[in-house]
Amino acid sequence: MTRRERRNLVNGLLFASPYIVGFLAFTLYPLAATVYYSFCHYNVVTPPVWAGLDNYREMFALSGDNLFWKSLWNTLYFTVFSVPLGLALAIGLALLLNQKVFGISAYRTIFFLPSIVPLVASSVLWLWVLDPRSGLINSTLAQFGLPQPGWIADEYWSKPSLVLMSLWGVGGAMVIFLAGLADVPETLYEVAELDGAGRFRKFWNVTLPMLTPTILFNLVMGLIGAFQYFTQVFVMTAGRGTPNDTTMFYALYLYKMAFNFLRMGYASAMACVLFLIILAATLAVLISSKKWVHYYGD
Amino acid sequence: MKTYLMWAGMVLGGACLLILLWPREASSPEEDRALAEGRTIITYWDRHTGHEYDARVDLIEEFNRSQNEVYVRTLAIGPRIEKLLTAISGGAPPDICSMESSILASLGSQGCFTPLEDFMSSEPSLNESRFFPHVWKMVSFDGHVWAVPTTTDSTCLLWNKALFRRAGLDPERPPRTMKELDEFAAKLTIKEGARIKQIGFLPWLPWDETTGWGMIFGGTWYDEEKDRVVCGTDPHIIESLRWQQQYAYNPDRKDNKPYSIDPRWVSAAQGGGFGAYQSASNPFYTGMIAMIREGEWQVEFIRKYAPDLDWGVAALPQPEGAPPVAYSPNAVVDAIPKGSRNIEAAKAFLRWFYSPRANGGPSPASDYCFAIQNVPPRPEEARQERFIGHPKFSVFVNEVLTKPAEPFPVIPAAQFLMEEMERQRGRVTAFEATPEEAAMEIEKNTNAQLDRIRMLQGRRPQ
Repeated sequence: MTRRERRNLVNGLLFASPYIVGFLAFTLYPLAATVYYSFCHYNVVTPPVWAGLDNYREMFALSGDNLFWKSLWNTLYFTVFSVPLGLALAIGLALLLNQKVFGISAYRTIFFLPSIVPLVASSVLWLWVLDPRSGLINSTLAQFGLPQPGWIADEYWSKPSLVLMSLWGVGGAMVIFLAGLADVPETLYEVAELDGAGRFRKFWNVTLPMLTPTILFNLVMGLIGAFQYFTQVFVMTAGRGTPNDTTMFYALYLYKMAFNFLRMGYASAMACVLFLIILAATLAVLISSKKWVHYYGD
Repeated sequence: MKTYLMWAGMVLGGACLLILLWPREASSPEEDRALAEGRTIITYWDRHTGHEYDARVDLIEEFNRSQNEVYVRTLAIGPRIEKLLTAISGGAPPDICSMESSILASLGSQGCFTPLEDFMSSEPSLNESRFFPHVWKMVSFDGHVWAVPTTTDSTCLLWNKALFRRAGLDPERPPRTMKELDEFAAKLTIKEGARIKQIGFLPWLPWDETTGWGMIFGGTWYDEEKDRVVCGTDPHIIESLRWQQQYAYNPDRKDNKPYSIDPRWVSAAQGGGFGAYQSASNPFYTGMIAMIREGEWQVEFIRKYAPDLDWGVAALPQPEGAPPVAYSPNAVVDAIPKGSRNIEAAKAFLRWFYSPRANGGPSPASDYCFAIQNVPPRPEEARQERFIGHPKFSVFVNEVLTKPAEPFPVIPAAQFLMEEMERQRGRVTAFEATPEEAAMEIEKNTNAQLDRIRMLQGRRPQ
């Protein structure tokens, strides 16, 4: 290494040091510590005690009333419904907002707006909308004499309510789909038209395949977000997962274990398992994507 | 030359930014003055918010004016445990913090606070003999005294006299036995088809109180000597859970009572229809609920939110043969966290707050109890005319003055036990578990949690 090269190296490291220090201190160290604590009994205030696999054994125990399984089930339920529905709605909106009509950017802004409302604010807002007695939805239903469910306060409706609520925030994905739509080459539509394709065939055989890379991206991000679902349910149920634990999501249970019951070791083990679940889900999507994602020019 | 200038500019700019952002010891003109006078500034975190916090601030300002050694800075942090936990484990706690006794039990057993037994035994007004025994239990465990009790509570039955009249009941005569409570509830419950117009009584409103009902039925949750939760086979506790269950309506059963209410309807109502607890739309104030189990703070709340409500208060009924008991689950307490840098100044404030005033007047602590209408934790203060002379407040105070009082079990797993009880009671009233199964689950799960905590304390083998 010449003097100049060494100097460049030092300068380069120096300039990158804010990130390197931040990464080591605030990402790598906490990550490694989480793995270590997951094998410990640890209450945050006294030193951790080695516990081997105790936390994991307790977590996977199949006793009838293990909240871990219930929280995992709730989270899977939410993910399975909210992610595909969110994708479908985002694509639908993007298609509608991709028309060349007057004031289209205003419409786009309106549909995008909800996704930039702070989560806590929108959660409180939805608490009002879903209020069983005087909320917007139920008072509208009452006008038409329709049955009025208890929404977030009813154990059969609480999760569907949250899925419904999550659809309100599809603006972010919608914008990405709009960008994806802009990238579909006009020539493909022209070719399809020459072949006599109608509107639906053009959508099914041109637009949708050309959107698959964008779908893949939004699917992966959606999955990760859904598995970590926390803020809304923490705000809306005051951190209790009510009614009857039907909104006790994985991340909420993890938080409760760590900060309410001082079981940081168990919470760390839950975090490690969640990491593996998300990793597996993401890998499965990525591997399967070879079969259904099409890149223009391939 | 140019590069040097640029570097100098960057360093200078950075330094200015650092000076601007550097944390200052004083954060208000009053604190600046206090610092100039050479006072010690200490930080006080209050569990209360709203008008209860304002009452505290008034007294703390009085303290700040009364001397020139210590200046107390206050912050309302609310009742949750997270902020305190992270502040203590991060090594930057307040000098004094107030909290619920259940949080004290969780954190105290981990050594999060400074033991106060020497300080308290040297203060005439803070001796053990001054306090209600059940309140003293809440602050003294694991061989130390961890906090000074500020307030305690007392639970009674409140009833709406207008609704009694409408149901043909004597508005001046509350139910005196459990059987009567059920009969009154039947008369006061009004259903129109599936619609519930009025609730007579519901054991888990305004919130779950499974512990209290268990004790009122004569049950024991926790065995101090064995340090175990022992509710699993306690017949009284199982009986109390069965009693709660019959208040839940089950479409699949034929033995529903006239007062049985669908728990799903209740949780939906709690999610919105009932209106906020601390507001004029509290369902007891609006006449949605005829009888309710409540604490002494309602004297102030009702004066504030429903001044026209015609209501009565009496001791909670007990089953025949059960030993008389007053249910006083919680206390709000003041503790000095480990890591406080001004322990002596913190003690000076506590000494002032809990001792009679220099002119012989009542202690600031009892003024505080009066301002927020809570039961004082020292019998001598609870007997002051302003508490005992009030026709309604006195009912609450007399409960703890005349009957043996029981607190919520004082165990480091208190927080867990509280939520576990609500969860299991929820399963019972949803007919997902029998009372026997639920009592057993509570015992098993809480003991597992307790064992882990004791193991970390080195008091139990791994």
